[in-house]
Amino acid sequence: MAALAERHPGLAAWFGYIRRIPWLAFLLLYTIVTGGPFVWVALMSLRTTNEILDAPYALPSPAHWGKFAEAWTASKYGVYFWNSLIVVGCAVVLLTLIGAMAAHALARFQFRGRKALRLAILSGMMVPPQLLILSLFQILLQFGLYNTLAGLVLAYVATQLAMTIYILEGFFAQLPQDLFDAARMDGYSDFEIFWKITLPIGMPAIATTVVLNFIILWNEFLFAIVLLTDDDKRTLPLGIMHFMGAHQLDIGMIATGLMISIAPIIVLYACFSEIMIKGMTAGAVR
Amino acid sequence: MTASELQPVRTDDGLASQGARQTSRATLLAFVVPAVAIFVLFTLYPVLRTIWNSTQTLGPMGNGTFVGLQNFEEILFRDKTFWKAVSNTAIFTIVGTIADVAGGLLLALCLYAGAPMSRTLRVIWFTPVLMSYVVVGIIWTWLYDYDWGLINHILRWIGLGALEQSWLGDPNTALWAVLVTHLWKWLGFNMIICLAALSALPKEVLGAAELDACGWWAKLVYVITPMLWPTLLNLTVLSFIGKMMMFDLVWIMTGGGPLWATETVSTYVYKRAFNWNTFNLGYPSAIAVLWSGMIIAFVLLMMRLFRQRERLEF
Repeated sequence: MAALAERHPGLAAWFGYIRRIPWLAFLLLYTIVTGGPFVWVALMSLRTTNEILDAPYALPSPAHWGKFAEAWTASKYGVYFWNSLIVVGCAVVLLTLIGAMAAHALARFQFRGRKALRLAILSGMMVPPQLLILSLFQILLQFGLYNTLAGLVLAYVATQLAMTIYILEGFFAQLPQDLFDAARMDGYSDFEIFWKITLPIGMPAIATTVVLNFIILWNEFLFAIVLLTDDDKRTLPLGIMHFMGAHQLDIGMIATGLMISIAPIIVLYACFSEIMIKGMTAGAVR
Repeated sequence: MTASELQPVRTDDGLASQGARQTSRATLLAFVVPAVAIFVLFTLYPVLRTIWNSTQTLGPMGNGTFVGLQNFEEILFRDKTFWKAVSNTAIFTIVGTIADVAGGLLLALCLYAGAPMSRTLRVIWFTPVLMSYVVVGIIWTWLYDYDWGLINHILRWIGLGALEQSWLGDPNTALWAVLVTHLWKWLGFNMIICLAALSALPKEVLGAAELDACGWWAKLVYVITPMLWPTLLNLTVLSFIGKMMMFDLVWIMTGGGPLWATETVSTYVYKRAFNWNTFNLGYPSAIAVLWSGMIIAFVLLMMRLFRQRERLEF
C-alpha cells in the first residue's frame, strides 16, 4: 500500500475511500433508522387516514394543517397537553427548589447525622417503581389525592427527588468554601447565601436536572396510568394511548397526536441539543 | 516536629471556615425538612407499606387479613404465569443488556473513528432517547404491522416476502420485536456515554497501538475495552436495572401478549393489581417485593464482583 501511495497518490486515496464505503454506508443507514421514523410520523401527521392507507410512505400533498386544530380541540389533545404541562411544570419547579435546598444543606453544612441523612435520601434512587406504585395508589386514595393532578405531581417529586439531589449535591460540594465564607463576612444570611450565591452559581447543574426531570416526566407513563382515571386529567402519553384504544384505525389522527407530544421536545432539542444530551446522561457519568 | 507545627497555622481562618459550615438548627431544618418529608411520606412509607401488604390478603374495601408468607409460597411454587414472566424478563435482561452495551460501544467507535459530520450524527442518533415509550411504541407497532408496516414492505421489496410476519402477533417473534424497539430507543444513550469515555482516553495509548500495527479488532479487545471497563460496567448495571423493571414498552406494544409471550414481571404485577378486578393488592405487592429484592441483590452482587475483578486487573 505504501509503495502504491508513492507511485499513484490519487489511486491510494481512492482505495482508502473505497475501504471506507461500508462504514460510511452504515453511518448513513443508522442515521436513517434513528431519524427516519420521526420524519415519517411528521409526514403522516399532515395526511388523512385514507391517504395513509392508500400509500403509507408518501409525501403530504396537500398538507392538511387543519388536522392539528382538529386534534387540539375535537380529539382533546389540547386538554392532555395542558395537563402534561401543568403536572410536569409544577413537579420540575418543586423538584428544583426542594432538591437544591437539600443539596445545599448536605454540601455546605456540617451537622450530626448528615451522612445518614444523605444515604437515606439517595437510597431513594435504588427503589424500583413497582415497590412504590401499589401502596402509593392506596395512600393517595386515603389522602383524597388519587385521580388528581396534585397527587401525580407529588408522586413525580418523590420518584425524581433522589436523582436531583444526587446531581446537585455533587456540583454544590465542589464550589469553593471561600466564596461562602466571604458572603458570610459581608453579612449575608443563610437564605441569602442560598438564593444569591448557590442558585446562580449552580445554574449549570440546575439546568441539567431541569432538563432531565422535564424529559423523564413529560414521557412518564406508569405512574400516570395508575394514578389518573378521568379523561379530563390525562397527561399526553395517557391521552394518546386512550385515543389509540378508542380509534385504533384512525392512524392519521394518532400521528397528529404523536406529533403534538413530540414537537416541544424536538424544538427544545434543536435549540439546546448539547445541554439536553448532557442532562439526559448526567446520572450515568461520573 | 514540634507541637506547634501540629497546630493549624492560621487558627482564626480555620475557625472561620468551621463557623461557616455550622448553622442554627432552625435554618438547617428549613433547608432539609421539605426533602425529608417527601422522602418519608412518599418513598419510605409506601415501600414499608408495600412490604407489609405483601403479607396480607386485601379485600376490595382495603381491609386486610394477615396471611404471613402464603403469598410468596403461592408465587414461587404454584404461579406458572409468574415464572413465564420471569423467564421473559430474564431473556430480555440478559440479551438486552449485552446488546445495549456492546452496541453503544460500537456506535461510539464509529463516530470516534472520524465520521464526517459526527456532531450532527450524534444529535440525530440520540433523538430516540428523548422520546416517550408511548411515541416509540406506537411508531414501532406501525413499523411491525403486517399489511402496511415498513419491515414487511422492505422484505417484500427485496424478494424475501416469505419471511414476512405479524411480528408482534406471533408468540415466537413478539419478545424479540419488543427487544429490538427497546434497543433502538436506548442505544444512543450508551453511545453518548461511551463516546465521552473514549474522548477522555489518552491519545498516546491509541497511537502506540497504531504503531504496534494492531488490527482494529485487537485494538478494540486489548486496548479500548479494558480502558473503558469502568464505564462499561456502569452502563451494564444501569441497563440491567432498566430491563428488569421493563413495563411501558411491553404494555404499549403487546400488553404482555400474545399468550404471555412478552409478559414481564412488571406487566404481570400491574395486571394482578389493576386489571384482574380482584382488588387484592396483597398478591401483586408480594411479587413486587420479591422482584425488587432480586434486583437489589443482583445489583449489589454485580457491583461486588466487578469491583473484585477491577482490583485483580489493575
